[in-house]
Amino acid sequence: MPFEWLNRFHREQQKPPSYAAKALAAYALGMKAHGSILGVSVLRGPDCCEAARALPADQVYDPAAAPRLPLEGCPRGRRCTCVYRPVMSYQRPPDR
Amino acid sequence: MNHLAGVLARIPLFQLQRRTGWPRLLPLNVTLSPSPRCNSRCLTCNIWMKREDELTLEEWDKVLRSLGRAPYWFTISGGEPLMYPHVVELARLAYEHCRPGVINIPSNAILPSIPDRVERIARACPESQLIVNLSLDGVGEKHDRIRGIPGNFAKFEERLAQLLALRRKLPNLTVGIHSVISTFSVGHLGELIAYADRSGADQFITEIAEPRVELDTVGLPITPSREQYAAAIDELIAYVERRRFRGMARLTEALRIEYYRLVKRILDEEDQVIDCYAGWASAHIYADGTVWPCCVRADDLGNLREHGYDFKRIWQGEKLREVRRSIAARECHCPLANAAYTNMLHDLPTMVRATAHLARPGAPAAVPAPSDEGPGPCHSNG
Repeated sequence: MPFEWLNRFHREQQKPPSYAAKALAAYALGMKAHGSILGVSVLRGPDCCEAARALPADQVYDPAAAPRLPLEGCPRGRRCTCVYRPVMSYQRPPDR
Repeated sequence: MNHLAGVLARIPLFQLQRRTGWPRLLPLNVTLSPSPRCNSRCLTCNIWMKREDELTLEEWDKVLRSLGRAPYWFTISGGEPLMYPHVVELARLAYEHCRPGVINIPSNAILPSIPDRVERIARACPESQLIVNLSLDGVGEKHDRIRGIPGNFAKFEERLAQLLALRRKLPNLTVGIHSVISTFSVGHLGELIAYADRSGADQFITEIAEPRVELDTVGLPITPSREQYAAAIDELIAYVERRRFRGMARLTEALRIEYYRLVKRILDEEDQVIDCYAGWASAHIYADGTVWPCCVRADDLGNLREHGYDFKRIWQGEKLREVRRSIAARECHCPLANAAYTNMLHDLPTMVRATAHLARPGAPAAVPAPSDEGPGPCHSNG
């Protein structure tokens, strides 16, 4: 994947308090407005917490039902390295 | 009025600042994104889904006042910037406070109100060069499919004709075509070149689709492989070199060729290749007042609402120090055209090659002369 540094960089950024609410609201709007977004996935961080490891692999969520990041109990808090990724009609769910 | 000569005079100072932290300069290239809203549904962009607590015009007034005469080149981006209801007033404020040499606006060409807004901006900013680049990612239905809007291509053709007619009475207006080279369009670049060549537009510019935090496209497979891009861009370079330009247009076309070659090297070497001046000479102000060094990384440098709308307080603040260290350490690389053209101005070998291009003989049959030195700013937002 080109620009792999950006994947890593994006995961390592501290999340704003509104991260989950804003991202999921955007995806919900995208689906409602018939964009090419099919849902949202959680890209787990390389050293993610137990709760993140327990999430089903390759799961595509409806934004309303997606887990809220950072997951409850994540020891990293807003430094959690899990991120949302939109799942588009032209791709399969991203590799974890 | 800000002139290119003044920009060139500041280049050694930016180089010194990047190395030593002094002098403390404000950016010469500033992108304003007043709203993420957009009526396109591009495969290469998800910004249109976002909603923000957008800066009001009164807030923009304070921000632009704080920038003073530093910016030479503004890009008003989006979303679809010409859908933003206060775009004319925003451009006027930028003009009144900053007197930029260039105001660059990309557009998706959908709304019928676009020519009226463009005319009002051009008249409100008479001493700035206004560049409007209409997005075109395919010919006919290919465009509609990539942009996600049936009938978009027909609207593009209608808007292009309207803007070209406007250009005849507005000497400060340049009308271009801007194509994003993505996995969806890389196979038909030749068709796009041929279309642009006969379109009557002042310029045809392209930008590779790269992932950006701004567009929420990180990790999406929108970037063509380096082999695909190299083959496509060689075709474009050959096209540009076949044409003959006059005056400054020859230099700007030479810079474009340099940019296309730079992108090939960035993809090959996975490195900045030349020093990046995002965070020094380039900046981006997002809709909610957050300042970024660029839209690819979108580091949160601070929100203008929390800094008295004073750009300097953020640009000389603590957060930017670490970001500058990271950029200078080449922890990132990307082909973002908006930053790359500014970077190239700071790279002596690039400028020597571009200037040498001027020495090449030109044919008498000249192409209309675009007067900018800039690209379309944002690969899929308009």
